[in-house]
Amino acid sequence: MAKVDWSSLWKKEDWWAFWLGMLLFFLCLAAAYGADIMGWAASAKEWLDPAKSIVPASGAYAALGPVGSLIVTYIVFLILLSIGAKAMGWNVKSYAAGFTVIYFLTWLCWWFGHYAYIASTDPAKAGIPWSLRMTGEAGLIFALILGLIIGNFAKGFAAKLKEAARPEWYIKTAIVLLGATVGIKAVTIDPRVLANFLFRGVCAIVEAYLIYWALVYWIARRYFGFTREWAAPLASGISICGVSAAIATGAAIRARPIVPIMVSSLVIVFAVVELLILPFAAAYFLWHQPLVAGAWMGLAVKTDGAAAASGAIVDALITGTHPEFAPLKGWILNAGIVTKIFIDIFIGVWAFLLAVIWVYYIDKRPGEKVQKIEIWYRFPKFVIGYFLTFFLLWAVCAAAVSAATAGLTDWTAISKATANALKPFSLATGEMDVFRKLFFAFTFFSIGLISDFSTLRREGIGKLAVVYFIALFGFIIWIGLFISWLFFHDIHVFFLR
Amino acid sequence: MATEAKGESELKKELAVREEILPIERKLVAGSIILAIILLGILYWVSWSMIAHV
Repeated sequence: MAKVDWSSLWKKEDWWAFWLGMLLFFLCLAAAYGADIMGWAASAKEWLDPAKSIVPASGAYAALGPVGSLIVTYIVFLILLSIGAKAMGWNVKSYAAGFTVIYFLTWLCWWFGHYAYIASTDPAKAGIPWSLRMTGEAGLIFALILGLIIGNFAKGFAAKLKEAARPEWYIKTAIVLLGATVGIKAVTIDPRVLANFLFRGVCAIVEAYLIYWALVYWIARRYFGFTREWAAPLASGISICGVSAAIATGAAIRARPIVPIMVSSLVIVFAVVELLILPFAAAYFLWHQPLVAGAWMGLAVKTDGAAAASGAIVDALITGTHPEFAPLKGWILNAGIVTKIFIDIFIGVWAFLLAVIWVYYIDKRPGEKVQKIEIWYRFPKFVIGYFLTFFLLWAVCAAAVSAATAGLTDWTAISKATANALKPFSLATGEMDVFRKLFFAFTFFSIGLISDFSTLRREGIGKLAVVYFIALFGFIIWIGLFISWLFFHDIHVFFLR
Repeated sequence: MATEAKGESELKKELAVREEILPIERKLVAGSIILAIILLGILYWVSWSMIAHV
């Protein structure tokens, strides 16, 4: 019997993402039960006036002000991450120095990305004549660009930061926290149509995992000659839910860290391109089938943030320009979110399946016995954290809603009681989101930092981008549209009755 | 410099090498597509005949 190496629990990045994510999850969740201990976390807001651009996540800590919350957030991040760095045997002094620079430069990008002229999806509401409508996620792109500039044009400086440039650790921790965000979304969906929606959402799993993945993998392997190590994370990145899927697949097949990192950098760039094109195309061509338009965003736009933002734009455009669909406000966005949730929560199972196939059928050498425990070793541990935070939050929210709505029969009263019951959990997930988004931002800065262009050329990023482009615009968008139509056309009639 | 050039050369070699597509990969791709078509048919039938009209 294989000897279990328990030290991996505190020596492996994967486990540290789990521990850190779960710690932040529980600390933030305390806010839902009256102990708001993480509300000091600095949160970026869409801004025109710089003085109002950074606020503590909770109003209870407003006295800290922007500088105070930024500093406290920095100190807590530094302490938690340095403990992890020490446990994993990294150079703590170099890590702390590097992280300090990464933290403040990333924050600069994140803050600038929230400038209303860049981020606002509703310029009129923001009181400005126009906007690039990129949402605050534009900050991720700026972080990536700044990281790339430093990594390519200030290589000596970049080398000093490298100990702290750990995109995999940051993104895995963010994914653990993402589970909670999805968990609360699952509860907020209207129960009367939830079953209907959920059932139709199952098609998203079939589409993303069985059609998209298979086609992209085949094209990458057969026609572009990519190795399995590149083709699998690329297929997952393009087909499933972008960054997290590429990382999960990379971990499952034990790809080198550079592989999911390169795929992730492409995912975020293409997601922003999609965000700028697809919602407007959907609102223009599919206004008469609003739920098809919403579901299409969930199926076609990669990354949760970009997909949700696209759904919100479609929702606003269609209900705003076609008053007959005003009762559908919120439901169009929900159609996108439901399909996205199903795609998200299946990542772990897919990673597990790939790990099994790679261990038993691909990496297995003649005469070599593969230990069953290998499957567990290959299984990405942060995915457990993702499922745990999802189910824990879903369970506590569902219990709170159930208790609050017991005995109520009037739908308006049920909706009100549900909203009130979820309010404390929204505060908690809002705080988790602050940490999740910062981890995302650190990830993209780090990706840029460790990716110099000569390496990119060698690793064939151009070829990756071509496959990505062909797959995304050649068939993913169109199959997504076809399946959204198949399952969601005319469903809006049920909401208008 | 020499190490870098050597590393680049190794990477070029790595990219030049084509891995043979294994039977399990063909099965994975074909099986996925076939399963997808069957499942979509079932899901479509169930969604329109049972759920949408409740």
